[in-house]
Amino acid sequence: MKTLITISWRNIWRHPARSSVLLVAIIVGLWAGVIAVGTMNGLMQQRMDYMIESEITHAQIHHPEFLAEGNSWMFIPEHDRIAAWLENDPRVVSYTSRTLTDGMLQSPVKTSGVRIRGLDIESESRTTTFHENMVEGEYLDTDMRNAVILGKRLAEEHNMEIGNRIVLTFEDINNELTSASFNIAGFYESASSDYDRRNVLIRSEDFLDILADRSIYHEIAIMLENEDKATAFVADLNSEFSGITAQTWRELSPELSMLVELGGIMVYFITMLIMIALAFGILNTMLMALFERMREISMLISIGMSRLRVFLMIMLESIVLTVTGAATGFVLAWLSLWHFTGAGINLEIFAGEEGFAEIGWDQFVYPIMSTGEYVAIISVVITITLLASLYPALKAIRIDPLEVEK
Amino acid sequence: MPIVKTKNLSKVYNPETVPVHALRDVNISIEKGEFTSIVGPSGSGKTTLLNMIGGLDKPTSGTVEVNGVQITGMKDSKLIDFRLHNIGFVFQHYNLIPVFTARENVSFIMLLQGRDKKEMQQRADELLDQVGLGDRKDARPAQMSGGQQQRVAVARALASEPKFILADEPTANLDGASAMNLLDIMQRMNREQHVTFVFSTHDKRVIDRARRVITMVDGAVHSDEYQKAEEYDESKA
Ligand SMILES: Nc1ncnc2c1ncn2[C@@H]1O[C@H](COP(=O)(O)OP(=O)(O)OP(=O)(O)O)[C@@H](O)[C@H]1O
Ligand SMILES: [Mg+2]
Repeated sequence: MKTLITISWRNIWRHPARSSVLLVAIIVGLWAGVIAVGTMNGLMQQRMDYMIESEITHAQIHHPEFLAEGNSWMFIPEHDRIAAWLENDPRVVSYTSRTLTDGMLQSPVKTSGVRIRGLDIESESRTTTFHENMVEGEYLDTDMRNAVILGKRLAEEHNMEIGNRIVLTFEDINNELTSASFNIAGFYESASSDYDRRNVLIRSEDFLDILADRSIYHEIAIMLENEDKATAFVADLNSEFSGITAQTWRELSPELSMLVELGGIMVYFITMLIMIALAFGILNTMLMALFERMREISMLISIGMSRLRVFLMIMLESIVLTVTGAATGFVLAWLSLWHFTGAGINLEIFAGEEGFAEIGWDQFVYPIMSTGEYVAIISVVITITLLASLYPALKAIRIDPLEVEK
Repeated sequence: MPIVKTKNLSKVYNPETVPVHALRDVNISIEKGEFTSIVGPSGSGKTTLLNMIGGLDKPTSGTVEVNGVQITGMKDSKLIDFRLHNIGFVFQHYNLIPVFTARENVSFIMLLQGRDKKEMQQRADELLDQVGLGDRKDARPAQMSGGQQQRVAVARALASEPKFILADEPTANLDGASAMNLLDIMQRMNREQHVTFVFSTHDKRVIDRARRVITMVDGAVHSDEYQKAEEYDESKA
């Protein structure tokens, strides 16, 4: 066996250039694969965490038709009873109730359709991190009367500055058109400029003064201990209360949940592509090696080398080559990943900072690779190598010494 | 008991399309210690006969016995193992593993036989000394002349301690001096260690060195005679 490994190793270096190319291909392939998978994972995770923590939360409760219609009279019935129930459920970390209505924003420049979001600052800040999106001015905890926070994008479109006034118009719960003026306290910038263009924030108490004669809420956003518990939690809520719909973040944001799934598929594809390239590289190199060594192998069979040993000799050659390449590739990949997990990968090189904000992505990504994924990639590489070297090895043992002499 | 015995050995290539009778009822018997050359015009069946005796090819009819064991009809894997332990081969070319040194090439066959490591090294060195390559033990085939490579092949064939050594035109690619040198070595092995050699050749000078000359014509044994071989000349070695 040791001698067979020696033969394999020396045969590999019989064509240093050819073997080096394959080695480099394996190393680069694996490195790129791990980085790509890690980056994709990181990107998905960051996107998911951000969306959940800043805005969507793990679960939300609405009037069954509110999300489709956005009318102010579609508020949550029995809000206080639900709130009491949430207070007593150990799975709930925090929750916040929001008063929402679709309406119009008017400035001297133009009119835009917006969703007006009335927030309870205290519980909102406990539940989400949206306040971290502030880029200019003050948040809703300002002393300013009738304060409103605009997305930076929307403010730019309307040529508005902090301290300017805008008018919000909407239907109250009696279907009567109501208008009120608000003072711009600050600007926010979330990960999605589309969101920034369509959402304005005000204090829920200011909103309720003009919207209804009592406290009404259209949305309860709930953070749970753990994302895994969302489905069961939502099911409990739906069976406990009628006249509402509770949904998990996956249901609330199909785009997000699809994105996460897409990420998984991408990871799968990246891995497959690299593996297919790897398989062809090995197959090609080994077939070339085999064809130029037909006479040698036929001589070995003639003098009495068993076909099993010939098989092992050929297999070992690809295995030694792959193990060398794969080991190097993994060490490099692991080191790079370790570095990037701390420093992050700056995606600016692919598109400007602006471009990423446009589609709602962070510019820095912190790659994530689970042990399971490492193990999976290693197993796939080993399997692919074995499969790709099987064909040349099987061809080698079918060599008929007499045929080769011709 | 003869080392090699063929009975009515026949080989027909392409029996369906254009039949070629490469061997016709060959009956020969080779005893231990013989130094036999097989000669004849091109296409007369020398290679075919050697391949049959060496268990590399299967006859159309007839049988081959090596040391009393019938190898005709043996399963392929069993035959490979039989060759490993009973027959030494020296081919016309491509005899050696290019990535191995002379010593490794000689040891390799003993390794395949599963011999003791220590014994292997020692025997490989001894044999290379015997074939006059004591100073080229660490050379790879590409660094050796054709004659030196053939001598490594002879050493390798001897290393496996076979019942006999088969060589199909071992000198065909060598110049005159190297050919004679190789023959000297083979002849000496035969005289001193009673190694049995069966080889084919076209070379008149090589034929003159053989004790027994079997002449093939058109697939059949034309003549089989013993001659007074030219003696091994120590000064030429
Ligand atoms: N695989 C084969 N298929 C068909 N015919 C073959 C095959 N091998 C050999 N022959 C034929 O069998 C006959 C004997 O061939 P063989 O190679 O044994 O001759 P040889 O005496 O060794 O010739 P040479 O001196 O040229 O080496 C020839 O007519 C050859 O053409
Ligand atoms: Mg021939």
